[in-house]
Amino acid sequence: MTDIFYTKDHEWIKVNGDEGVVGITSYASEQLGDIVFVELPEKGNSFDQGKDVAVIESVKAASEIYSPASGEIYETNSSLEEKPEIINEDPLEKGWLYKIIIKNKDELKNLMSEEEYKKLIGV
Amino acid sequence: MSELINENISIEKTSLFDFHNKNNAKIVPFGGYYLPINYSSGIISEHNHTRLKASVFDVSHMGQIEINGPFVMEALEKIFPISFSKLAPGKIKYTQLLNHEGKIIDDLMIHKTRDENSVWLVVNAACKHKDINHLRENLNKKFNINLRNDLSLIALQGPKSEKILADLIPEIKGMEFMSSSWFRYKNYEILISRCGYTGEDGFEISIPNKNVVTFTEKILKNNDVKLAGLGARDSLRLEAGLCLYGHDIDIEKNPIEAGLKWSICKDRLDKQDFIGGQVIADEYKKGPQKNLLGFLPKGRAPAREGTLIYDASNKLIGEVTSGGFSPSLGVPISMGYIISSFSNEKEVFLDVRGKKIPADIIKLPFVPHNYFKRKK
Repeated sequence: MTDIFYTKDHEWIKVNGDEGVVGITSYASEQLGDIVFVELPEKGNSFDQGKDVAVIESVKAASEIYSPASGEIYETNSSLEEKPEIINEDPLEKGWLYKIIIKNKDELKNLMSEEEYKKLIGV
Repeated sequence: MSELINENISIEKTSLFDFHNKNNAKIVPFGGYYLPINYSSGIISEHNHTRLKASVFDVSHMGQIEINGPFVMEALEKIFPISFSKLAPGKIKYTQLLNHEGKIIDDLMIHKTRDENSVWLVVNAACKHKDINHLRENLNKKFNINLRNDLSLIALQGPKSEKILADLIPEIKGMEFMSSSWFRYKNYEILISRCGYTGEDGFEISIPNKNVVTFTEKILKNNDVKLAGLGARDSLRLEAGLCLYGHDIDIEKNPIEAGLKWSICKDRLDKQDFIGGQVIADEYKKGPQKNLLGFLPKGRAPAREGTLIYDASNKLIGEVTSGGFSPSLGVPISMGYIISSFSNEKEVFLDVRGKKIPADIIKLPFVPHNYFKRKK
């Protein structure tokens, strides 16, 4: 069973057991516009919740991505290196950024449910 | 992803503001105006459409200034490094407003009109009031300086521009590049200038505020034209190697180091009789300390404004002043200044978030200009 949580900075994390997949929301990808470059974290590195973990660059500007959960990165989406525009095309599935072993599932309480996130962006 | 808007600065709307909203524009404050950064198709698509066919941009934020009075050209030659006598009536020249240290107050287009007592300027939005103050300080009171807020300005840019505009105003066909003229359309007058800031052929159209929406809609009836915003305008001018005031040029820089010496008339340089003339002539003779150049970083990471530039031995040699992604080339591009003695280096290193990215130095522009040339 997969749960999905959101941050106020428009990242999502899909949680399955101790594993999480992280990406940005459709709203974020629309706001950013055409994405031209993604700087992903190194496999094996660990990040704390809320710390900057990746950078997404649109034509206009560079935006930091903050990790929705603490833990160790075990996979990154290498297809984004050549085709960063996948995030614009499919931000919730094919445009995922990295996978993480979640260190402390209690932290997920700091995140928003889908309903709360929808309220935040006003839909 | 938050946008900071300083509440103390009043931001104005152009006459096309409601029109932009109706066309799903993403609006941002720029140079004191609310303007579209892009419409629903996005910056890359708007950029590519401009290079392929043609786009309309709202550039009404720019200052359109008319200066009137007898012997106005003689008076302005004491300020600007250009020679009106060498220009045919109706010709436009790119130039800069300089201070006494030869530093750039603004860059602008100046029109020698068909009326010898009148000169037309198009200046940057954020600079228009300081430009007018500088002109007032340096011009005799008998000259009338008039900021034409009654006129909007739209730019039609791209290889199909002539055909599209000629469908409405056939007389514009064959107009010389960098020339302007008044035309009557319906029951009003519009000033059409064959120029722009995208590297493409195109026109800038000064049109009464009350007529601009209808005229823009009329142009858009042609299927080859789409709307484009500031985002595409910026990536187009960067590919064309054109300086943006406040970024590549500013009050700290002179036109020689900015690679703009082509815009300074040689006879004026010899006489040194314009504001900042002595400093500029001196800089021209001994060569600038730094040079504005183009950089092609390896890989896909854009090196944006403020990125520091190093040589192979890790010595700091310069800084990027504009950088981003080139939709036409599909790679990141940057321009910036490096110390002149390093201009012939094969490779430099751009510090992007702590990583030193190798980059080739290239002569600007990144994408060749495609300006209109009259067939001989």
